[in-house]
Amino acid sequence: MSLRLKLLLLGLATLVLPWGGCQYAREMESALREGEQNSLQAVSQTIAASLQGRTDLLYREAPPPADAAGAPPDENAGHAFLHSGPYDLKPLALTAAPLLDGYSDDWPHDPSAWAYFAKDDRHRFGILTGVYERMLYVLLEVRDEHPLFDAPGTNPLDPASFGDRVWLGFQDSQGEERQVFLAAPGPGAVTARRIETGEYGQQSAPIEPRIRGAWQPMSHGYRMELRVPLSMLGNGFGVLVDDRDARGAEPVSYGTLRSDDLHTLGRLIVAAPELSSYLAQFMQPGLKLAVTDPDGRVLSRADALAQLTGLGSETPMLARLYRRFVDRPGTRALLESSAPIYDRDHKALIGKLEVTQTANRWIRLRDHALMRMLNFSLSTSAVAVSLMFAFAAWLALRLSRLRQASESALTRTGLVTSFPDTDARDELGDVARGFSTLLQRLNEYTSYLRTLAGKLAHEIRTPLTIVRSSLENLESEQVPPAARTYLERARQGSERLNAILIAMGAATRVEEAIGSAERVSFDLVRVLQSAVAAYRGAFPERTFRAELPAEAVVIRGAPDLIVQMLDKLIDNAVDFSPAAALISVRLRLDAQAALIEVDNPGPALAAQLEGRLFESLWQSRAGADSRPHFGLGLYIVRLIAEFHGGEASAVNLPDGSGVRFMVSLSR
Amino acid sequence: MKRLVAIVEDEAAIRDNYAAAFLREGYAVRTYANRAQAMSAFAARLPDLAVIDISLEDEPEGGFELCRQLRALSAELPIIFLTARDSELDAVSGLRLGADDFLTKDLSLAHLIARVNALFRRVEALRRPNTPDEIVRRGALALDAERMQAQWDGQVVLLSLTEFWIVHALARHPGHVRNRQQLMDAANVVLDDNTITSHVKRIRRKFQSIDPKFDAVQTVYGMGYRWVE
Repeated sequence: MSLRLKLLLLGLATLVLPWGGCQYAREMESALREGEQNSLQAVSQTIAASLQGRTDLLYREAPPPADAAGAPPDENAGHAFLHSGPYDLKPLALTAAPLLDGYSDDWPHDPSAWAYFAKDDRHRFGILTGVYERMLYVLLEVRDEHPLFDAPGTNPLDPASFGDRVWLGFQDSQGEERQVFLAAPGPGAVTARRIETGEYGQQSAPIEPRIRGAWQPMSHGYRMELRVPLSMLGNGFGVLVDDRDARGAEPVSYGTLRSDDLHTLGRLIVAAPELSSYLAQFMQPGLKLAVTDPDGRVLSRADALAQLTGLGSETPMLARLYRRFVDRPGTRALLESSAPIYDRDHKALIGKLEVTQTANRWIRLRDHALMRMLNFSLSTSAVAVSLMFAFAAWLALRLSRLRQASESALTRTGLVTSFPDTDARDELGDVARGFSTLLQRLNEYTSYLRTLAGKLAHEIRTPLTIVRSSLENLESEQVPPAARTYLERARQGSERLNAILIAMGAATRVEEAIGSAERVSFDLVRVLQSAVAAYRGAFPERTFRAELPAEAVVIRGAPDLIVQMLDKLIDNAVDFSPAAALISVRLRLDAQAALIEVDNPGPALAAQLEGRLFESLWQSRAGADSRPHFGLGLYIVRLIAEFHGGEASAVNLPDGSGVRFMVSLSR
Repeated sequence: MKRLVAIVEDEAAIRDNYAAAFLREGYAVRTYANRAQAMSAFAARLPDLAVIDISLEDEPEGGFELCRQLRALSAELPIIFLTARDSELDAVSGLRLGADDFLTKDLSLAHLIARVNALFRRVEALRRPNTPDEIVRRGALALDAERMQAQWDGQVVLLSLTEFWIVHALARHPGHVRNRQQLMDAANVVLDDNTITSHVKRIRRKFQSIDPKFDAVQTVYGMGYRWVE
């Protein structure tokens, strides 16, 4: 992994900042939610307390008279509406006024809210009641195989004209029983009439204009929709259906009115219209209040939830994106709370207050904080990451420069080139300076080593000359024959020493020769041919094979040096090959270079020799003879190869039978 | 009258050994350790031949200076450089200063004596009139073995003793390849291959300075050289 990548990953660790921020935002949100829940609970309890004992509001029931202290209120009688009888009707709290058209499709679909009353299988009706604002709405669905309208244009009191009729019976606000009947000459609007008995006993049926309705036939019966102002109504309320099969016939009467005097059997359990205005004073956007009876039926509600929902669409894209990371799935956007409403004595439950609040308000609050926090921490992260990346890139650049410099400082020839100076004050600068110092010392050492052989040869030459000239003079003197043997040995020894000196100076002289060499164009094939022919004569105990291209290969260079290089390669091959071995000299060509290969059978190169074989004074291979070896031969090969723009290398033959030395010469 | 050989050499042991060898050969010998000594003696009397080391005591190039001064005193005096320094540059500078030969100290005494003898023979031959039968002619080349003088197209090619002997060895049998060892033997020297190569190069250059088309000394790669007519 590169340094750049590592630091980049390290930089990504700063993303823990926004992550922590998200966690914090969640914490904050749940704290907010809890606080909001608590305050909502307090609100609901406050409102519920304010409604304590307000049965007049909840159920339109007058509070017990204050002077009734003498007669302790009956536990149950006090709140009779809490124990509903079979004929009691509990209207729905409607959210919109139904259109009075005799159709049920604008009523809420709530099967449990229907009440059914029946005489027998053929005579039954269902009744659905609801309250909207100050009106009671009634939906009747009457089963009747033969719906019959009143005869049109007749006196509504003439029994012969009677068709199917519906009676509404109710107590007015004073507790008086009153009745109206509803009749229609055909589908459509229905009129309500009350029967009044005049001074003289004559009866009239004036229209009750406050009650409106519509009548529509339906399959197996008819449907009637009515609207009655709540102000007309007291507690008692009932419906009676007169089902006639023919006009004027005796009706089959059934319903929630006593059939003899049409007095109400049941009650209408409904909140006072004032309740909703009472609730309205607590309203604020995003809040919904509902008062229910103890069973959970809504008596009245005030709803301003929707007033805030529009705000969601304004949320910026970024916030919505953040929200996806922060919101836990299943978190509800609504807060709910409820509080019981007790009676005056705080004994019995008379209802419940349900408060609902949208979460929008604190979600927006949270979003705002979250966005600022995330924007801040993400940009901090981005800045940190990019700074780290830039720093890493810069470091990597410096390191790679350093590496390149250190690689190129020590050339393959062992030459130490200059190392770029740096004035950086940090550790990398120290490393570079350390390298520089090291290389400088190495350079001194290398050049010392390089000139050592030459210097040594020079220094030894003078004493050797003394020895040799003394020996030569000694030979001219009268020396006893016995001493002559030693003299001869001393002379041989000094000759060998001389040969060693010449060999030691060879590299220096080659360097000089290279320095003064002139480049000419010459045919490499001809030179190699000639040289190999010479080696056949020089080394009769080896076999030489030349594998050379048929056509001329002209390169620029110094043929003398090439031959000298070949001499060293052949010397090497001869030294390390057994007698009668076959030494191959091959010339191959590729696009840029001519490649001279010399193969000889013999011991393989040790791995540790790799790359060092061609260095000056490097000799670890034991030659076959006792001639002096200073490891200069292959060094000379390298010098000459490099003079020709090439390089020297050595490999073991693939079959392990020997060694191949290769020299490339640029063409 | 014995010929006088002057030896200028700062290493006493070598100086005395050389002196002994020359004395044995019948030469009169004077030895000097430094340039000042040598010059004051030469001012009084010139030797017949001078053997000079290059570095003399505290003068690393003292021999060259001495050679120059000596050559100014006499144009014909044979001068031999005998030194431990074997670099090409030193050899070239020495020969350019007018030395007749440039030898390294690994040369044996016998070889040194042979050269000194040869130089004296040349001095004598130069004093005598030409004896044409001693001259080897190979085309444009005329080699006078007695005077150790080479001519090309009638012009004298100034060769050092070593160079003359190499040319002589090659030209005596034109077309025959002489390997380096043979050339060394002919020149009475022990040299390494590179020195022979540079000698041959110098020889070619000297001939080419007279005749730019000179191409008589051919390299036979891996073997040696031959003279081509």
